[in-house]
Amino acid sequence: MTFAAAATHGFLSPAGVEIAFLLVGVVTLGAAVITVTTRQLVHAALWLVVALGGLAVEYLLLTAEFIAWVQVLIYVGSVVVLLLFGLMLTKAPIGRSPDADSGNRWVALAVAAVAAASLVWVVVDAFRTTWIDLDGPAQGSTKVSGEILFRHWVLPFEALSVLLLAALIGAIVLSRRDGEEPGKVPASRTAPAARGGKDSSSGRADRSAREGNS
Amino acid sequence: MNDALDVAFRLIVVFAVFLVLPLVIGQTEHKVMAHMQGRLGPMYAGGFHGWAQLVADGVKFAQKEDVVPAEADRRVFQLAPAVALLPYLLVLVAIPIGPSEGAVGQVVDAGIFFVLAVMGVGVLGSLMAGWASANKFSLLGGLRTAAQLLAYELPMLLTAASVAMAAGTVSLPGILNAFEWWWLPWQIVGAIVFFVAGLAELQRPPFDMPVADSEIIFGAYTEYTGLRFALFLLAEYAGIVVLCGLTTVLFLGGWHGPFGADGLGWVWTLLKIAVLAFIVIWLRVTYPRMREDQLQKLAWTVLIPLALAQIALTGIVKVVI
Amino acid sequence: MSPIPGSGLAKGLAVTLRTMTKKTVTAQYPDVQPELPPRSRGVIGLFEENCTVCMLCARECPDWCIYIDSHKETVPAAVPGGRERSRNVLDRFAIDFSLCMYCGICIEVCPFDALFWSPEFEYAETDIRELTHERDKLREWMWTVPAPPALDPGAEEPKEIGAARKTAEKLAAAEADASTPPGVGTPPGVGGVPPGAAERPADESGPASGQGGPA
Repeated sequence: MTFAAAATHGFLSPAGVEIAFLLVGVVTLGAAVITVTTRQLVHAALWLVVALGGLAVEYLLLTAEFIAWVQVLIYVGSVVVLLLFGLMLTKAPIGRSPDADSGNRWVALAVAAVAAASLVWVVVDAFRTTWIDLDGPAQGSTKVSGEILFRHWVLPFEALSVLLLAALIGAIVLSRRDGEEPGKVPASRTAPAARGGKDSSSGRADRSAREGNS
Repeated sequence: MNDALDVAFRLIVVFAVFLVLPLVIGQTEHKVMAHMQGRLGPMYAGGFHGWAQLVADGVKFAQKEDVVPAEADRRVFQLAPAVALLPYLLVLVAIPIGPSEGAVGQVVDAGIFFVLAVMGVGVLGSLMAGWASANKFSLLGGLRTAAQLLAYELPMLLTAASVAMAAGTVSLPGILNAFEWWWLPWQIVGAIVFFVAGLAELQRPPFDMPVADSEIIFGAYTEYTGLRFALFLLAEYAGIVVLCGLTTVLFLGGWHGPFGADGLGWVWTLLKIAVLAFIVIWLRVTYPRMREDQLQKLAWTVLIPLALAQIALTGIVKVVI
Repeated sequence: MSPIPGSGLAKGLAVTLRTMTKKTVTAQYPDVQPELPPRSRGVIGLFEENCTVCMLCARECPDWCIYIDSHKETVPAAVPGGRERSRNVLDRFAIDFSLCMYCGICIEVCPFDALFWSPEFEYAETDIRELTHERDKLREWMWTVPAPPALDPGAEEPKEIGAARKTAEKLAAAEADASTPPGVGTPPGVGGVPPGAAERPADESGPASGQGGPA
């Protein structure tokens, strides 16, 4: 898997790496397009796996080994599994879902194109003068990533971990709300029931009164 | 040219191990389980104590009809066994069995991450099988698989990270080179957590709720017959090989041994893998199945805190030493 | 006294390990014959020489699974001027083992010890009609009938052996008395007993013990 990394003359020459990069990029783009256009929900999730896997291959081609495997571990291994889990819990059907189309595909396409264009322009403009030396020592190995992360980028790292912690606590709070405040929720649930009960009992009383009269 | 031949040769060796070792472990399971239950196990296939039973099973599976349920999603249904099986083959490439440079399929620098990431992809195979089978029991099995495997990936990752901290590297040969004998008691909690979490990842009893045959027939694999079913079973036994190999390499010191580790390191590795495989089979025979909520409770309230404690201990000792 | 957490788990592991080390009792049947207990009821054998075609077995069989055909033959008089005797000759003796319920009433009821239990059990057929076995097959099974097992040490002595022993003792006593001067009174009925007792031991020539054998 390190065929483009530390070796001075790797298995694929730099031109070969670029060709491979482009091809994998086309595959990834194709998979992403199918993900958003297919009418079968679970197929969309599985094409997302292909797209995310394609991204991991791109990372590998750029010698960012660590982040490639973390991409597979987190995105493919956890996020997609969670997506599929949610889909299956909500009984995703086999075959096409008629309601999978939101009806405004042309607006969505326009927004996606504009977002992609602005992103690409900003990124290319920002990193125009940055080059990755594929022939030198690997810059994406675990050791190097760890050093960079904990020396130069500690503050964003800590901020991100605080963000994740906040998300975790929020998820726990959200999932505990139904059991945490028993006074509120059952009361709101029983109120309509009580009203419904009164209506039906009064209805019954009316009917029996009418029958008694006639 | 030599490089390409070398790589090809290594891959062929790894593939051969991938095909043979799970069958050996499977046959051992037949016999050990039988004797633990007071019976004999296979005795006829191959003449001598039924050694060829699994070979006969393989032939039987291969000649069966390839059935895809009418309502099922054909492509996904057919792809699921491959997605479940290939990750274990890839992981086997990275596990070292001896001290020399060439005693591993391919040296992977991001060893632990590579291994755990690829094993996480194997979950998708079960999910695909569960959903694409168009069968309520399969869907339930797939859901149980997803919940269980997600829950138990964390303890595995955390304890593996503890070993990586102790060794100062994530590459598997690097970890083995840095191994000291006093790591055994140091990482013992991590070893037990890793092993138990790995058993749950493999859906082996007592964690086989996703394939509980008294409840949901065979979970996600219910609709599978013939060679595809055999491939799922091969994936389970290959997973046992991988789990035992990983536990050996990370926690038991792999090719290290009291004597003869230089030339006969691979013997030590295989011996340790064999003992761990026996323990896997032993646990299967002895313990009843855990319920889903007991499973999840074990993962989230016992294994993860233990793994975190192990990481804390590792960190403290590392700083002190 | 609360148990150590995990002790139950360890005990379970110990149990399975111990069972694994014990020798299994599985007997691999076609290669090894099973050890059948004595007096096992496998199949019924017929000893034609003893059969007088009294048809008691066919009558008493609850399932009516014994089929007997016979005819009468006249036997010339043993003594000149005597009466001709008639004899039953067995033509067909068949037991339908698809009906037989292995109760053994036919064997118990036969007064002449012509039917015996055999422990032979490997006579399965693929067609139910082939389970009706004729006299040749029934005779073949006779050779698999084992000798009757020994009596328990504390069992009661069989009646015929007791009777034979008593008559032999009386005979010995009478001879002892004959050698001594007469005067020692002997019971009056003793004379009739010895000839009868002398006949019965000679009858015990069949392959089994006498009639009404040990219960």
